[in-house]
Amino acid sequence: MQDHDREPRGHGRRRFIAATAALGLGSLAGCTGLGGEEETTTEAEGGEPVQQIGSGRSPFGDREITGGVSISEMPELSGELTLYSGRGEALVGELISFFEEYYDDFTIRPRYNSATELVNQILTEGENSPADVFFSVNAGSLGALKDEGRTQSLPTDVLDLVRDEFHDPDGQWTGTSGRARTVPFNTDQFADSDIPDDIMAFPETEAFRDNIGWAPTYSSFQAFITAMRVLEGEEATKEWLQGMQDLGVTEFNDEFLVSQAVADGEIGAGFANHYYIQRILAGRSEAPLGTAFTAGDAGSIFNVAGALVLDTADDSDLATNFVRHLLSAEAQDYFARTTFEYPLVSGVDPIGELPPIDELNPPEGLDLTQLADLEGTVRLLREVGVL
Amino acid sequence: MATEQQTKTGDGEDQQPLGLTVASAAVAAAVIVPLLWLVKSALDVGFSEAVALVTRPTTVEVFLNSTVLVVLVTAACVALGVPLAYLTVRTDLPFKRFWTIIIALPLVIPSYIGAFAFVSAFGPRGVFQRLLEPLGVESLPEIYGLPGAVLVLTLYTYPYVFITTRAALKSMDTTLIDAARTLNHTRWEAFKRVTIPQIRPAVAAGALLAALYALSDFGTPAIMKFDAFTRVIYVEFGSFGRDTATLLSLQLVAVTLLILTLESQIRGDERTTTGGRSGSVMRLGRWKYPAIGFAALVAAVALVVPLGILLTWFAEGVAETSQSLAFQPEYAFNSVLVAAATAGAATVAGLPVAYLAARHPSRVSSVFERSTYVGYAVPGVVLGLALVFFGSSYATPIYQTLYLLVFAYVIRFLPQAVGSLRASFLRVDPALPEAARTLGETPSGAFRHVTLPLVAPGLFGGAALVFLTTMKELPATLLLRPAGFKTLVTHIWTAYAAGYFGQAAVPALILLFVSGLSMLVIITQEGYDVK
Repeated sequence: MQDHDREPRGHGRRRFIAATAALGLGSLAGCTGLGGEEETTTEAEGGEPVQQIGSGRSPFGDREITGGVSISEMPELSGELTLYSGRGEALVGELISFFEEYYDDFTIRPRYNSATELVNQILTEGENSPADVFFSVNAGSLGALKDEGRTQSLPTDVLDLVRDEFHDPDGQWTGTSGRARTVPFNTDQFADSDIPDDIMAFPETEAFRDNIGWAPTYSSFQAFITAMRVLEGEEATKEWLQGMQDLGVTEFNDEFLVSQAVADGEIGAGFANHYYIQRILAGRSEAPLGTAFTAGDAGSIFNVAGALVLDTADDSDLATNFVRHLLSAEAQDYFARTTFEYPLVSGVDPIGELPPIDELNPPEGLDLTQLADLEGTVRLLREVGVL
Repeated sequence: MATEQQTKTGDGEDQQPLGLTVASAAVAAAVIVPLLWLVKSALDVGFSEAVALVTRPTTVEVFLNSTVLVVLVTAACVALGVPLAYLTVRTDLPFKRFWTIIIALPLVIPSYIGAFAFVSAFGPRGVFQRLLEPLGVESLPEIYGLPGAVLVLTLYTYPYVFITTRAALKSMDTTLIDAARTLNHTRWEAFKRVTIPQIRPAVAAGALLAALYALSDFGTPAIMKFDAFTRVIYVEFGSFGRDTATLLSLQLVAVTLLILTLESQIRGDERTTTGGRSGSVMRLGRWKYPAIGFAALVAAVALVVPLGILLTWFAEGVAETSQSLAFQPEYAFNSVLVAAATAGAATVAGLPVAYLAARHPSRVSSVFERSTYVGYAVPGVVLGLALVFFGSSYATPIYQTLYLLVFAYVIRFLPQAVGSLRASFLRVDPALPEAARTLGETPSGAFRHVTLPLVAPGLFGGAALVFLTTMKELPATLLLRPAGFKTLVTHIWTAYAAGYFGQAAVPALILLFVSGLSMLVIITQEGYDVK
């Protein structure tokens, strides 16, 4: 584990110390930024980009960080922070420990579990919750905590780092990376043009008979159905679910397994978040696995993973600045390279076989917080016998 | 209740000893109190919604599903566990010790890994089907649903029955059988009239553990796509229906109480027996090979499938992944640490409860004993949340420390210690400690020098069971562990949830290895047995 990590980490710290020293001298501004043009605007901070977090390697090729705000331009982190992370350690653990290593006087106490279990835990702990920051895989669980009044507003300069549609309108949480709903399909069985670009057309597509899969207990799937309820209404959603069952849809426990089954040819297509496809392709680039998008409907929603500061946070500034760090250029680049998600800070591009964020066609007028009403969705899924 | 019948001990002072009763009551209370959180949150739901929820058709269907599942699993566990125990104790089966270990070993495999392995192996286009494809096998019989859930749960819980029955058979007085045989009973009649009544409490205790496990297990029904209680509770929790989920959990507790009552009926007419003299052994003769075949088949299905899948993962390896998934020996150490602490704590807590229940049976002692089972049947996530509430509200200093984690495990697994201790106490002839008393021992001296050595196999067996199951526990661990505290299962979960199966293989194999070692401990401790 050390081999990959040590170099950039040591670099980062040394450079940081150098930068601080430069700040102390006051006049050494203008040291050359390794990463890009934007550095010149921040010379007073003496900042340089920290470089890539982690191994720096990507199965889809190497690159330099160009846009965004570097960690070195952000307020320092010091003290102890309790982080409840609904994002898996496998995916974000490296990023978390990077922050810890980067600052000498900063300790993170992470608690990893599924996002909903952590929400339940925070609600059960009540005012005694030790949690400072909640980091989640979806807007739904962020919204759930907001609805329970357990959040603190984030300052506008943090919120402004991402586009308006990617943070809570009331400023209670912000997205940190994006995840597009997609249709993984087996390229031996289908061409991209065979996949309807209207999600509502799927039940009538005979090519999918007994040949398509979903993961109805999976929260992203439930968010997708929630979006359908919002956009198409309860009746149409019910019909759609009924239609899919009549078509013979195979059930999986999560969307990684859906994508895996598509790659194996067990099923021809499925419903999954975009990064599962990339994750499989990163491991087996030869897999006959393609990504199709629907347009302007529930099948093409763009959800976010995000973070919020809890009302129980011991040190609100520290917690807020930690969230700010998740929106740093380096963290955004990390999400692109390591978790294959869409960075939300403009100027940091996605990686792999993905269209840029602007070429996606998410439905218009859908507020991500509307996706928090999972209970209604579960009720509907039950009613039609999916759950 | 059948247990109310007083066991004759001939001891003058057996009116509920006060100290022992207080100790048992304290243990029972400690185990039950956190679950009051369930009642509290269920009350928050509101009456009309509660009624609507409990009576709605899906709930009824789920209730029936769970019932069918539990009944079938329990029956299958007895059907496998008892004959296998008999074979390894009372017959001349070759390599008995080897078979004992192998047959008990499936207990070390977490049922969710088992379920996953069976789906990977026998699911549509699974490993097995691909192997058979050249032979023209297009599809295999459906593994999902009730058959798969029963199969997997049985394979990974029958050892409960096997182990408890074995312990009973080992300390059983075989001269009775010989006596029955001299009275011209056939082997079967002798078994029916002598052996069965003697091992019945032990079989019932094992079956109870298996039944409650089947009721509370989440992983298997979820993976097998079978709508049992736990799966529905999980979905409710997953959609922020926390109140509804706790209400369903209360229903689950009610079912548990029902099972506990049923079991005390089956347990039936208990008798303390004189210490065993294991003499004659049944000769298998030409039945030797079918017997070996039976044992080998059960073990092979239960062990080879998951091991094969884990080794496949291992071989497919370790694609380039995040380095936080790198395995560290510390995880194994942590697992062993908490499991050993739990085994010790559960044994100490279980002693007064089991002793009181075995030696001074009464309504009160039976209530104490039964209440230790309730936490075992509550799904881990529900128990975890109950302790999150209690820990963060009333025990902040130990919240998210190892103390609270071990406490959670004790609540969850105490019945395994209590069950096997109680069965052991029942088999100690009360005349023995009494004799020691007449020779001048104090009551506690008689207990330590006479009773305790006699129940040692049960004590170690129970402790090892607790150790094993603690090693495997996941949901409560995730909720209650101290930040940054990682165990083998949390690491398996982390890797598996992220889809990096290769990284899950190593800790899973280590888990099986360490748990397997503790199985060896159980077997060697049987040397403690009365000769």
